[in-house]
Amino acid sequence: MKNFTVLLLKEETALFSSPIAYVVMTVFLLIMGYSFTLTLFLSHQPSLVHIFFQMFVLFMLTAPLITMRLVAEERKLRTLEVLLTAPVSEIEIMLAKFVASLSLIALMLLLSGAYAAVLVLFGDPDLGPIYSGYLGLLLFGAALVGTGLLASALTANQIVAALIALSIFLLLWIIDNFGWLLPSPFDALVVNLSLSVHFQPFAVGSVYLSDVGFFLSVALLTLLLSVRALARR
Amino acid sequence: MSVVGSPIVLAQHLTKRYGPRRAIANVSFTIAPGEIVGLLGPNGSGKSTIFRILCGYLAPSSGSVAVAGHDVITDSIGVRRAISYVPEDAPLYDHMRVAEFLGFMASIRGLRGAAAARAVEAAAERLDLAGVLTTPAGKLSRGFRQRVSIAQALLGEPQLLVFDEPTSGLDPHQVIAVRDLIRSLAGRHTVLIASHVLPEIEKIATRVMILLDGTLLTSDALKHAATSLTLRLRAAGAEATVRSTLAAIASVHRVAAQAGGGATGAGEPTPYLIDVEPSSSAAAEIVAALAAHGIAVSEITEAAPDLERVFLDLTRRPVKAAA
Repeated sequence: MKNFTVLLLKEETALFSSPIAYVVMTVFLLIMGYSFTLTLFLSHQPSLVHIFFQMFVLFMLTAPLITMRLVAEERKLRTLEVLLTAPVSEIEIMLAKFVASLSLIALMLLLSGAYAAVLVLFGDPDLGPIYSGYLGLLLFGAALVGTGLLASALTANQIVAALIALSIFLLLWIIDNFGWLLPSPFDALVVNLSLSVHFQPFAVGSVYLSDVGFFLSVALLTLLLSVRALARR
Repeated sequence: MSVVGSPIVLAQHLTKRYGPRRAIANVSFTIAPGEIVGLLGPNGSGKSTIFRILCGYLAPSSGSVAVAGHDVITDSIGVRRAISYVPEDAPLYDHMRVAEFLGFMASIRGLRGAAAARAVEAAAERLDLAGVLTTPAGKLSRGFRQRVSIAQALLGEPQLLVFDEPTSGLDPHQVIAVRDLIRSLAGRHTVLIASHVLPEIEKIATRVMILLDGTLLTSDALKHAATSLTLRLRAAGAEATVRSTLAAIASVHRVAAQAGGGATGAGEPTPYLIDVEPSSSAAAEIVAALAAHGIAVSEITEAAPDLERVFLDLTRRPVKAAA
């Protein structure tokens, strides 16, 4: 893994030299800032629960914009050929792309920490749900980035990659609504694929190992599948 | 590590299919250390597919390739350490500055710190890139992009350098510079170069392989060219007499009056191209036969091996056979 640091630096440079990263961060912080202020002034409650659910939705909409270019762009511009004929493994390449994209999500979460700081400075919030909410969003972000990376590895078209990722996210967001209609044991199976079912406990302050395992499993599985997709060429 | 005396590339029965389409079929060849080998073929003949397999970018559908003793399937990283690839159209990371890109490529080729800086400096000097080191790759001209792409391939002193159409899109000065550079690599590196431009290959390569529709027609076209010697002849006399005289000589295969060869009027010697068996006596036999018929020979010289004719002969043969 000695090339990982070099590849990660290259991915971070590519990410932050593109306007997409700044547009995504700006839109995210503007919408969340507005929502946080409005919620705080209307409810007078020192809580971020509503904000976490809004971040959950906003992450689903913005993650494809971050991940769509990861492999698709390299494939279209044929720089993938340069990379894959150099002595670096597919795992190193994809892991660097994954970590770089997740770092943008982490940065967005870090900047949104200003809302928590405001609550701590001017109120007396229960810190448990704030910690668990941020942990949940980070794990959720890892699952989104992994899925987006896989979508990008499957096509040379960035728009198609973004649409594939978005479709998967939206389906897994609302899949529990269909799951309840299914007979046992399929109902439990399908409901447990739902992103919102696994995120909800984090937002309200409960951390279950099953939810942590779900998001980590999705991230790991999609990462491995994207490595396979790259190696399959 | 490659064993001394063993081939740097050993490709055996390579076949690659993209779905139902067969890109290359049963291609086998070897390349010895230090050779400059040209791979010649029309566009779409499978040159890039062979290169991508050699570099570990594509897996063959069947067959095997070893580069410097490393198998492309079981030891792809070992292959990629021994080989550097310059793809067609010079793909670069447009957001990176040239020095940054070369530094990145040096790092992933295992060079770090001062060693990486020295390698980048040497490659930049060799390709005359000092003036563009701080320019983003996306703003470079076609010629500079190609030179940066070649510079990255030189980093880490790979055993085998693979160039896919390296002079495509360059102006004549740049073509000459790239050609000289590739020739200068001989001895230090083994070079495999693909092109569909025949004179390009002829000027650079010491051995030429010809590929058509995914099939390797010959792995040494220059040797093939040498099996049929071509003589350039100027003879004053009726063309019909010259032809009938030469046709009677057993070692003469073909006679062609050379179009635009310089004959300016009646009585002027007419130029001919004559394919003969490569023997030392052929020219003497021709001169003696023509003299016996009262035809004066003003010039008879041996033409260089004609790769173009070999290429055309080989690439037309399957068409004729199919017709």
